[in-house]
Amino acid sequence: MKKVIVIFNFSILTMLSLTACNNGGNTKAVETDKPKTVIKAVNVPVQTSTASISEIVKYYLALKNALTADKTNEAAAAGKALEATIKSFNKTALTDAQKKVFADVEDDAREHAEHIGSNGGNIEHQREHFDTLSKDIYSLVKVFGAGQTLYQDFCPMYNDSKGATWLSETKDINNPYFGKKMSTCGSMKEELK
Amino acid sequence: MAVAFIFIAIQFVQPARNTNGQVLATDITKVVSVPDTAQAILKNACYDCHSNNTNYPFYAYIQPIGWLLNSHIQAGKKQLNFSEFGALTKRRQESKLKSIASQIKNEVMPLPSYTMLHKNAVLSKADKDLIINWANATKDDLSK
Repeated sequence: MKKVIVIFNFSILTMLSLTACNNGGNTKAVETDKPKTVIKAVNVPVQTSTASISEIVKYYLALKNALTADKTNEAAAAGKALEATIKSFNKTALTDAQKKVFADVEDDAREHAEHIGSNGGNIEHQREHFDTLSKDIYSLVKVFGAGQTLYQDFCPMYNDSKGATWLSETKDINNPYFGKKMSTCGSMKEELK
Repeated sequence: MAVAFIFIAIQFVQPARNTNGQVLATDITKVVSVPDTAQAILKNACYDCHSNNTNYPFYAYIQPIGWLLNSHIQAGKKQLNFSEFGALTKRRQESKLKSIASQIKNEVMPLPSYTMLHKNAVLSKADKDLIINWANATKDDLSK
């Protein structure tokens, strides 16, 4: 293989100076397919020293409410804030159980938040990531507590009727997976204190 | 003339090759069951940008095309790397499998710009179903 490279490079050197101009078109075509640069969130919220995930929950709920209202750009903004909050989360004061769960959830949740943040305009893709993110946040709430009463709700229709869950701060159902189309579709599964 | 000179000069700046040649202990085939049929499709249509082993086309040796390919490969591997799948937590493995199924189903992957140049990476309906079913079944296995 190396031999081929070397030979090829030599032939390029001798030959391509002549064809350089013709190659311009080709290069351009490839360039337009460059992946979009993911713009990272910059507003890192202030982290308290107590082991509280209230900031994480706050942005998760903001994200949920944006999806409920079919607001993709608001969802993206909440996703970015959530990503930054997870990244800057202070892990020093955690119990062993909290440490274990946070380590398990951290990268996954951050990645989902990042994708939601970079997919403003593609609400269906944001919802796909929100589905798994909701499970991550649920795992966190179970061991950290949310600092407020939350409800785990269930939408039976999402995921080709395999169903999906989400967390809500209200007892009333407000479906984030189908938005305004089917806002009251779903049922409460569990109350989390 | 200056353009030609620059073009020749940049040929000497070759990005490092993404060809490890080994099957790592973290390779997806070592941590979950991947039937040969699924493996063949993944190798053919995904591994160029989602593994540590790219099968380079001849034009990858011409700059700046090689640089562009390299940036695609780095971006692809950041999202999903089949060679290092086993290094992820189980939770993330499940997330990745879910995304594989949905990206194929929604025809986001393989990228149209990739299949344009790699006709053999165009997936048939049967190929897509096979990968989607495999990804979903493997994800369900993991979550048990």
